[in-house]
Order: sequence, then C-alpha cells, then structure tokens
Amino acid sequence: MKFSNIVDIELYKIFRKPRTYIAFGAVAAIVGLIQLGFYADGESYMKFGMQTLSDSFDVSGNILNGYLMAFIILQTLLVHVPLLIALVAGDMISGEANQGTLRLLLTKPVSRNQMILGKFTASAIYTLALLIWMAIWALGISILIFGVDDMLILKSESVTQVLSTDVLWRYVAAFAFASLAMLTVSALSFFLSLFAENSIGPIMATMSIIIVFTILNALDLPIFNLVKPYLFTTHMLGWKGFFDVQINENNEQIVGSVENLPAVLFSAAVLLLHIVGFLVASMVIFKRKDILS
Amino acid sequence: MLLQVNNLSKHFGDFVAVDDLSFSVKEGEVYGFLGQNGAGKSTTIRMLLSLIKPTQGEINIFGFSIDKHREKILERVGAVVERPDLYRYLTGYENLNIFAKLSGKKISKQDVMRCLGVVGLDKRAHDHVRVYSQGMKQRLGIAVALVHDPSLIILDEPTNGLDPQGIADIRNLILKLSREQNKTVLVSSHLLSEIEQVADSMLIINKGKKVVEGNVRELLNPEVVQLEIIATSNEQAMEAIATSAWAGGLKVSAARHIVLETSASSVPELTKYLVEHNIGVLSLRAVNSLEAYFLSLTSGNEV
Repeated sequence: MKFSNIVDIELYKIFRKPRTYIAFGAVAAIVGLIQLGFYADGESYMKFGMQTLSDSFDVSGNILNGYLMAFIILQTLLVHVPLLIALVAGDMISGEANQGTLRLLLTKPVSRNQMILGKFTASAIYTLALLIWMAIWALGISILIFGVDDMLILKSESVTQVLSTDVLWRYVAAFAFASLAMLTVSALSFFLSLFAENSIGPIMATMSIIIVFTILNALDLPIFNLVKPYLFTTHMLGWKGFFDVQINENNEQIVGSVENLPAVLFSAAVLLLHIVGFLVASMVIFKRKDILS
Repeated sequence: MLLQVNNLSKHFGDFVAVDDLSFSVKEGEVYGFLGQNGAGKSTTIRMLLSLIKPTQGEINIFGFSIDKHREKILERVGAVVERPDLYRYLTGYENLNIFAKLSGKKISKQDVMRCLGVVGLDKRAHDHVRVYSQGMKQRLGIAVALVHDPSLIILDEPTNGLDPQGIADIRNLILKLSREQNKTVLVSSHLLSEIEQVADSMLIINKGKKVVEGNVRELLNPEVVQLEIIATSNEQAMEAIATSAWAGGLKVSAARHIVLETSASSVPELTKYLVEHNIGVLSLRAVNSLEAYFLSLTSGNEV
C-alpha cells in the first residue's frame, strides 16, 4: 500500500466534510471584517496611534498599507486559528472512532504506523492550506486594497521601520514559522484525538491546554518562569522576530537582517521537537491500542 | 486448516471476555460462530482481525501468525465487524472506492460497481449513505468486505437489523460465496436458526468459553429431541413418566410444563402411553436438544 494513497484518501475525506470549510469561511470573514473596518476608519485610527510619534518625527507616506494590515491581522488571527486547526486535527482519529469506521479501516492491510502517518500528513496539509488561505487574504487582498509602502510597527517602547523592499521575504519566513506553530497545535490535537471517541473532547482539551499555557506565559511569577521556556505557547509568536530588523552603528537598519535570529531559530526548534514528540507518541500509543469502538 | 485459533484469551481488567478458546476453520467451509449477546463473539473476531491484542493464545490464518504477518493476512481477508458503520457524508460508491483503494489491490471503477451490484446497491450507488436504510448499510458493509475478492470472509452478525427478505438475501449470498466461489466464510450470530441454514461447522461459546464445536448436521441431530409437555395434570404425568422407560430422559418438571429428552421416533408412543394413563396432552413441543440448550443459554436458565 502506497503511503501517498493513504494521504490521498485522508485528504479526500477531510475536504468532503462540510465542517472543513467552516475554518476557511471563518478566516475569510474575520479578515474581511478587519479590512473593512480599517478601510472605513483606518485613517483616524492611525492618526490616534501615531500621535506621540508625530510630535517628534515627520511621518509621511502610506502608513496604513497592505504590509501593516497583514501584520495586524496575523497578530489577531494567530490566537484564534488553533481552534480552527483543532476542528479537523482533533477529529482525525476520534471522528473515525465515533462513526465506527476506525475498526473497518483497520481491517484493511495498512499498518497502524502508516495509518497514523497518513492521517497526520493529511491534517498537516489541511493546516498548511488554511495558512496559505490566510496569507492570501491577510497579505494578498490587503496589498490590493491598501497598497504597499514601508512598514511601521509600533511597539510600547520603540518603532520599527521595515523598508518595503525588505518586507516580502519576512512574510514568507513569518508564515513558514507560523506553519510550525500551527502544526504543533495540529499534532497536539491529533495526539489527543487518540483518547476520545468524539471530536469535542480533543478540540476542547487542545484549546484548554493553549489557554492555560498562555496564562502561565502572561504571569510573571518565578515558579512559572522556570517552565516557560519549555511551553510551546511561549514560542508560537516567534514569527514576530522576523520583523525586528538589526541596526548598525550608524543607527541604520541592515536590509535582510533579523535582530535576534538565534532566538527565532530556537523557538522553531522547540516547536519542531513538540511536533515530532506528539507524532511519535501517537504512533506508539496507536500501535498498542485496542480498537473497541 | 485455513484458520487456527489456539488457547485464545482476552481479559479487560478482571473481566474475562474470552477464555482459553480454541477452534479451527477449514478452507471453503461456512463456519458458524454462535453465542448469545456478550458471549465474546465480537471480541474474538476483533482478535482475529488484529483490532485488539489477545491476552494469551495464538491465531494463525493462511498458515501465518496474525501477530507477525498482519498486513499479509489482511490482504486476503474481508470483514464486517458489528454494525457496518460507514462515512455518512459520502455516497455508497465513494465509500466502497475508499476501502477498495485501502485493500492494496488494483480495483477498477467497474469492479466497484460490479461489487455494488452483487449486494443490490448499484442503482443507489451515488446516494449519500446518510439516506441509506439499515439494510442498505449492512449490504454496503458486506460489499466493503468483498470488494477485493478475499479468500476468507468474516461477517459479524451480518443480518442484524434486517427485514426477513434482507436476511434471506444475506443467507443466499453467503451460500453463493461458499458454494460457487469456494470462499471460506466465518459468520457469527446469536440465532441458531441462522447458523443452521448456512453453516457447515459451528462453534457455540458462552461467557467466553467454548461450549461445543462440530459439524452442524451432527450437532443438530434430529433423532434426539427435547419435549416440552403440558398435560391436563402435570403431576400425574410426572408420576407416569417416572415409572416408565422414559424416566431417564426426564430433565425438568415444573408447574407449567415437563421437559423430557428422548428419541424423535418414540414421541407417538409416549403420547399414547400418557393417554392410556388417563392423562390428556394439552401441548407437546419438540425441539432439538442443542437448540434447547442454546435457548436455555439465551434465557439464562441452563438445563
């Protein structure tokens, strides 16, 4: 049995389910709403945001451009997208158990490891497809509506300006990193789906874990600080690192640079480790699992 | 032997679902696997298909251990375990096509449609499974088991939820597969009458243990019958039988009826004997002794 056949079959099942398209619809609707809001009221919103900056600097050009819009949208959406990922990944095994099709699948001459790998690969492809869809809406449509220019990112203590010629590759890298973050969520949800016989459990459990870990991240207490580096949620927003540009001794930004690349790569490695860990654990448990559904 | 099971057991914590079960299935035969609900049939079938791991014992199919050669064996096995649950959001054709692809063999669209025709679903092939009746789902499940032309077919309670016509269709299909295509079929049921009509050999299990195994015709020997007698006075009838040649066959006497095991040919003589003793026979029902035994299992009163 070819591995690609299993992936084909799993993708076919995913994309024939109506629930799959909820995520695509939700992303398009949310992004569309944000774009509509900024298209209507963006000028005044930006003026308010730039008030303190305008006192000291002469800011000109298309500040509210497509690149900035994509940044704002990504910041907003990447917190909620895990739910949309879990909707499908959390259903991969538990959904089959719930329908009773798992036992029928496993009477076929496909090894359990192949089955797990095939199902995980299909859910990973769905995750990537959702992120590409998000990129099209967040970046592509935003550029069409708001145009392009240098990108100003306002932070609590500083402002980062990224030249328009230096932005696009950063988005490619940011989306690649976001893919790792979302694949971690997908792997977690997939792993949890081994233990349930309906998809609500894994979806709720995934979201609960993300919420608890995010709260732990937010609390600046010594006991939690010890575990923070090991929580995958700590590293999920590492994509923002690609928009921190290195400055040279003349206070000029270095085109194509990332201020703290090792930190970004470390976060990526932690996420990758989580994905592999969840996948291997899924394979080991599924291989020994009695199919009683 | 095409299928050989030795000392198979399965424990779920303290609960023993299957207890030291051994049996064998010959190539080309229809093998009935009989037991009341909860007797351990489905657990055994799940172990045969490697869906659950035995606590102990071994299973060899086509001469290979299922533990070591799972995929190789499953290429030649078609199975329906309990309800044939399928993807409700897909059509019958799409469901069958998915499982055909997973069988590892090259199966054309025409073959898939032909298989749907065998179970009488070709005209409804492109309807969603969610609109199928229970009988149609059951038939589609059997098509999933047959689509890759397996040598061994395992059907777990295939007539559950079917109307009489559906039951007859499945029965005929099993006989056709065995007689015309020389397939080996293992079929489980909780109804002796179903097994009796299709199986060459059978195994009865109760509480996970083997009760009896053998040739169906020999086991269901019509010469030995169990009689349920209701007389005008059961008390007098009991006394009369106790002093007769039938005394040894007396099994149970109850206020409502007497149970007596005897040869079928002696039934008219017994009736005459009771009438001669001025005992009227209100009702006399003869059942095969194995059937009686099985009925006692299902009703919870062992004879």
